[in-house]
Amino acid sequence: MSVWNQENIVDVAESVGIASLSKDVQEHLARDVEYRISQVLEEALKFMRHGKRTTLHTQDVSQALRLLDVEPLYGYESTRPLRFGEASIGPGQPLFYVEDEEMDFEKLINAPLPKVPREMSFTAHWLAVEGVQPSIPQNPSTADQRSQELLPKGGAASQTLAALSGAEGVTVKPLIKHVLSRELQLYFERICDAMLSPKPSSDEYRATALASLRSDPGIHQLIPYFVQFVADKVTHNLKSLPTLTASLSLIAALLDNPSLYLAPYVPAIVPSVLTCLVGKSLGTPSIDGATTHFALRDYAASLISALTRKYASSSSTLKPRIARSCLKHFLDSHKSFGTHYGAILGLTLLADAEGVRALILPNLKAYDAVLAEGLKDDGKREAAETVLGAIMRALGLLAKETGGIGAVNGFPEGDALKERLGDVVGDVVAAGVVEAGDTRIIAAVLDKGVL
Amino acid sequence: MANSNGSRAKANPSNDTVANSRGGQVLEYLSKKGYSRTEAMLRKESQNTDPEGRPIPSNREGSQKYKIALDLTISWLDTVLDVYKPELKRLLWPLFVYSFLELVNEHFGQDSQHFFANYRGLFEAEHEDDVRALAPVSLPEHVKEDSVAQLYLKNKYRLTISQLAFVAILQFLESKEAQGGATIITLFNTYLDIRTVDRAAAGNERSLARLLSKQNGDADVPAEDEGIPGHHPGSANLDRNAPSVLSKLSLGPMPMEPDLMEDVKAELQDHDITHPPTNGQSSLIDEFEQRIKREPIDDVPSRETLPLPPSTARDVAMEVQRIKENRDRFRITGRTGGVGPGISVTMFTFHNTFDSVNCIEFAGDNNLVAVGTSESYIRVWALDNSPLTSPTDPADFQPSSSRRLIGHSGPVYALSLAPSIATSSPPQTNGHTNGTSIPSATPETRSRYLLSSSADCTIRLWSLDTWSNLVVYKSHSAPVWDVRFSPFGHYFLSSSADRTARLWSTPHIAPLRLFVGHDSDTECVAWHPNGAYVFTASGGADRTVRMWSIQQGGAVRLFTGHTGNITSLACAGTGKLLASADDRGEILLWDLATGRLVKRMRGHARGGIWSLDWSVESSVLVSGGADGTVRVWDVAPNKDAGGKVISEGGAGTKVDAAGGVAKGKKKDVVVSADQISAFPTKKSPVYKVRFTEMNLVVAGGAYLP
Repeated sequence: MSVWNQENIVDVAESVGIASLSKDVQEHLARDVEYRISQVLEEALKFMRHGKRTTLHTQDVSQALRLLDVEPLYGYESTRPLRFGEASIGPGQPLFYVEDEEMDFEKLINAPLPKVPREMSFTAHWLAVEGVQPSIPQNPSTADQRSQELLPKGGAASQTLAALSGAEGVTVKPLIKHVLSRELQLYFERICDAMLSPKPSSDEYRATALASLRSDPGIHQLIPYFVQFVADKVTHNLKSLPTLTASLSLIAALLDNPSLYLAPYVPAIVPSVLTCLVGKSLGTPSIDGATTHFALRDYAASLISALTRKYASSSSTLKPRIARSCLKHFLDSHKSFGTHYGAILGLTLLADAEGVRALILPNLKAYDAVLAEGLKDDGKREAAETVLGAIMRALGLLAKETGGIGAVNGFPEGDALKERLGDVVGDVVAAGVVEAGDTRIIAAVLDKGVL
Repeated sequence: MANSNGSRAKANPSNDTVANSRGGQVLEYLSKKGYSRTEAMLRKESQNTDPEGRPIPSNREGSQKYKIALDLTISWLDTVLDVYKPELKRLLWPLFVYSFLELVNEHFGQDSQHFFANYRGLFEAEHEDDVRALAPVSLPEHVKEDSVAQLYLKNKYRLTISQLAFVAILQFLESKEAQGGATIITLFNTYLDIRTVDRAAAGNERSLARLLSKQNGDADVPAEDEGIPGHHPGSANLDRNAPSVLSKLSLGPMPMEPDLMEDVKAELQDHDITHPPTNGQSSLIDEFEQRIKREPIDDVPSRETLPLPPSTARDVAMEVQRIKENRDRFRITGRTGGVGPGISVTMFTFHNTFDSVNCIEFAGDNNLVAVGTSESYIRVWALDNSPLTSPTDPADFQPSSSRRLIGHSGPVYALSLAPSIATSSPPQTNGHTNGTSIPSATPETRSRYLLSSSADCTIRLWSLDTWSNLVVYKSHSAPVWDVRFSPFGHYFLSSSADRTARLWSTPHIAPLRLFVGHDSDTECVAWHPNGAYVFTASGGADRTVRMWSIQQGGAVRLFTGHTGNITSLACAGTGKLLASADDRGEILLWDLATGRLVKRMRGHARGGIWSLDWSVESSVLVSGGADGTVRVWDVAPNKDAGGKVISEGGAGTKVDAAGGVAKGKKKDVVVSADQISAFPTKKSPVYKVRFTEMNLVVAGGAYLP
């Protein structure tokens, strides 16, 4: 008959002191209870809809009861789904109840506080750029999308029918979304050729290509292809310095072009440049010489700083992300000196004096050991010295900023000074600092020691 | 109670009951006087009447008669001519509902449940909500209380079918009168309001091809004038004999105040001199003239209809900026040649929300985002991470880029920020220009006020200067679902579960207008861009969109055709079209002047399209919803909307206006050809989409892994 069990009605009636209910009344009441419940549910669904949810919460039900002028049920407010226990009060008579754990008061008080839920926050990304969805981690991958049917399928299915009826507005979706004109394709090929051409005579060719990239206003469509090209070349040609340099200059040229809008592609560009900055071993020492890769790193660092200067305002996470990755490489003592050099350079250019003070200076003491070891080893001395140079330059920034007025009022001289510096930045750097003899640097470093 | 015992007793009234009634007295009299033959005759006749002398319906059927009648109709519909089928099928739903309600009313509780279970499958696709609402009704008391049942009983279900089809079914029913035809005819007469039209006169809409294509199309949908609040298409007059003349609307933009116009002109002239337009750009003053000139004179509302406070320097600055952006924006010129315009969408995803976000609202100047939560508070962020300061902050307070507004005592369901516009003033105030072009201080054009509505039946006005509550508006007697500022600020409209929508002005704590007429919750509201009209939509059993005139306070248009709860509304910037979306994933476009449906657009999955917005040129519509997609739609009416029949005679096939509707595995995935593009998000339902003045789409959603 009705879904609601009539025995429930009898039980409730007995509990309020009505001993006997006629069958008719029972049935009538059971149906009425059922109707009332569905009425409450209808109202509760309304609250769920306006809460823009797809699951019904206990709160919705109490809101619905309130709207229907009924005292809401207390004690069921929970964001977690309720657990129901089952008990048997007789054969075939299960009784369901909400499982409510018994809590020991003592235990509850002494228990550590639960973790504070994480704060609500928001992030921004491009869901679509000029009608095309960029493939960035924030957007679902194409594999995810395949399960959804997003675009009208009918266009193809009923094309003939549509043509029959003479409907002109029939859409024929091109198979690929971007159609590059023949000219653009040729242009792309030529530029790539010029970039990769190994002949020394091609320098002029390359210069022309770069000049074109720097000024041509009509190559916006090609940007993703260029970005992809660079990423590809960088990943596969870590041993070839000319290729890496050419790739970086391609990016630099694109950055210079005033009519291009690169902001959506910055996240795709940064990894390639970072690789050139902090890559473990770039180039082949036997051909290029042991230290030429430092020049490439310098170039990459300047590119990074140009990128961040230009696009930090449009992406608030750009700078912190790059800085974090540089710092990680700097702190990893197993990496080569080249990597350390790149990381220090990146941090210096990215974060200025503030960054040097906060990120580099505190870690120099720990880095000292690595540096000292490198200087002892003949094979690595040159590289270690370059790194030392980079550190000195970074410290130089500090000096410029503080202007020599520090918290330390005067400082000892000679060995005592060296010792105190050594406490802060380690012996090797301390020696360098003393050698440089710039009082402002000394002041800035000691300042740190005091703080 | 309502069991068959009772009915049997009723069907065969015993002589005792006859004797007790008035008829019984007559019989007594006759037997006393010895008129035995007359007495016998009377006895025989009174077999068929109840104690009050009314005829008892010949009741072999009893509870079964509706089932028999409906079965008869359904089986006949299978054999009827194809031409009539689609039209006549529309009759089944009202017949089903009224049969069911009759059964319940006649205390056939058990049989009514069987009846309902038997046929509900036929209607679940189209009338899901009504079926669900009616299912538990099993007692006459419920019928009296249930809002859906009452809606059906108090109104006549209106249906338009062509003359020939109606005659065909009537003839059939009359021929089968004894087998149940009479029951159906009674239902027709009592509950239905059937309009017949001449097929030829109705034109293409009822042509054979059209009907056929509808039939093999995915779902048959109710016609515009079908349903409970049946009406002349578009007209808000529900009187059965209402004239089919529509009231005239003034849909043009609100004219500008003359003073304001002068000021804006002067300002633009100054700007043109200091920043001469580059090549290919028109000067700002030309742009402005064009904008004013474009207005036709006849359909413009007069300023007197809507008193607004006198304009301020802020209004001038906003208007100037609007002209500038109008000139410099990215133009979207509708779909040309199959490929849609390339639209850029910025998505703001909220994390760690635990599904507590109810609504998201972006400020017109793109500097603020406000979120209403089910935990009764409102949170506002600066999108550029700048600190939100207040003059009342204590000296050592470190302002962060977000603020909480606490005051409501129930979930916050809607927010609305006062109109604002981003100015390019920051570089100017930094001293880059010579300063002569700008008046001493650029007036602020950011949003200074925020409205919120909540389940605690109140609407609150918040100041975004001091970050505090200014006014509490109490008048609604049920949760307030939606609230929206007028396009000019000052006024706002709210809608509530008490079935009303109310118009307020910010300085008054009592509503200025009450818009009453919806038969269930008024779920969402929208403003006409000229501020002289408002739109409300309701869910539940009503499912209508109504357009109200603020000046007259009455409904001027009514739109029916939705099959689900309406979840959002948006009126085009040109003021000619209205888009409404429901939780079954359909978007309907309406022509306001004629009050007719322009087209239906499908693509969203079920679960609600929570936000709609039009591009500045009104050429493109963007929508976002529970299925976690942002979709872009072509709003141009379908070219072959006239329903041209190709191939004369024989099987006329026609591709329906909704051209490429394809049948997927489920009905959920039908995408109509009007969709230009769809951008899925990563597990983030989209709560809000908005076109900026420069035609960039800003979307907001919550990441729900």
